[in-house]
Amino acid sequence: MSDLARFWLVTIVLAVGTWLMRSLPIMLHGTVPSPKWAERLLRYVPIAALTALVVPGALYVKTGAEYGFAPARTIAAVAALVVALRTRNVVATLAVGMAVLWTAQVLLGRLG
Amino acid sequence: MSTKKFSMRAGAKDVVAILLGIVPFGLVAGSAVVHAGFGVREALGQSLLVNAGASQIVATSLFAEGAPLFVVIGTALVVNARMFIYSTSIAPVLSDASPKLRPLLGHMLVDQNYATTMTIGRFREDVDVVYYYMGAWLALASVWQLSTIAGALLGSFVPASWSLEFAVPLVFLAMLAPALKGRVEIEVAVVTGVAAAVLVPLLPMQTGLLAAMLAGMLWGAFRAKPAEEASS
Repeated sequence: MSDLARFWLVTIVLAVGTWLMRSLPIMLHGTVPSPKWAERLLRYVPIAALTALVVPGALYVKTGAEYGFAPARTIAAVAALVVALRTRNVVATLAVGMAVLWTAQVLLGRLG
Repeated sequence: MSTKKFSMRAGAKDVVAILLGIVPFGLVAGSAVVHAGFGVREALGQSLLVNAGASQIVATSLFAEGAPLFVVIGTALVVNARMFIYSTSIAPVLSDASPKLRPLLGHMLVDQNYATTMTIGRFREDVDVVYYYMGAWLALASVWQLSTIAGALLGSFVPASWSLEFAVPLVFLAMLAPALKGRVEIEVAVVTGVAAAVLVPLLPMQTGLLAAMLAGMLWGAFRAKPAEEASS
């Protein structure tokens, strides 16, 4: 199989698998019972998901398969968190986060 | 303006600021495909069909490293397994959608759309939440496709030293902050955060993120007061 065919094979299998995981619960809602414990478990999904998406990127830089601690990112993320909590403004959070990151990178003399 | 149109516009408007965080993500996903030896068509096809940035980047880089195909696909699917949880969680919110529309709604379930609909959209009384959700996705997906194409065409024209990919967690952080309004919410974030810090570098095949989410969800279920549950 050529590399191109292999790439499309991966893309299509990944697309179908992902679509199934994303769609089945929405499609089956109302036809399968949703037990009380499941409702309880699902209540904090938005917060758990967003936190899990933030933390690795705020602490580490990934090179290959290795995660290295990135102090500049951690400092920038803490500053951005303060701004996010005070202003609830996405653009302000982004601006402060990036500005602090660049400053910290220069001061610490390294990427990360 | 009809309610449907108004709701779609409202959804699109509510994600405008978030779009800034999509661009670097799309640039990385698009340029990764080109770096792996493919072209704009492959980058665009991947973004249209898979429509899940993190898994696309993982799949492309493992593919480029020459990993066996089952490892490439398996790892990328683990990255997307959180969407099964999203789907289960958002299903009651989208329950007014017709059976024909639902398979399409599933494809539209990306992190940013999920978070916006769950933290803002579903509490808005002036919108039809199904159309709100579709409008938000249309805005997100347009920018996603365009930035993927730009990444594929221009390659790595943005120097790595700009660390633009940091915009991705920053946008999630901005979406998280307003949701931290109670004690249990903060506890769930702390538990998930500590679990993610420890488990993500430790566990193989990108399973750390999912494990961290589950830890937070379990803590939330354990701590949620029955009285609160009845009122929500």
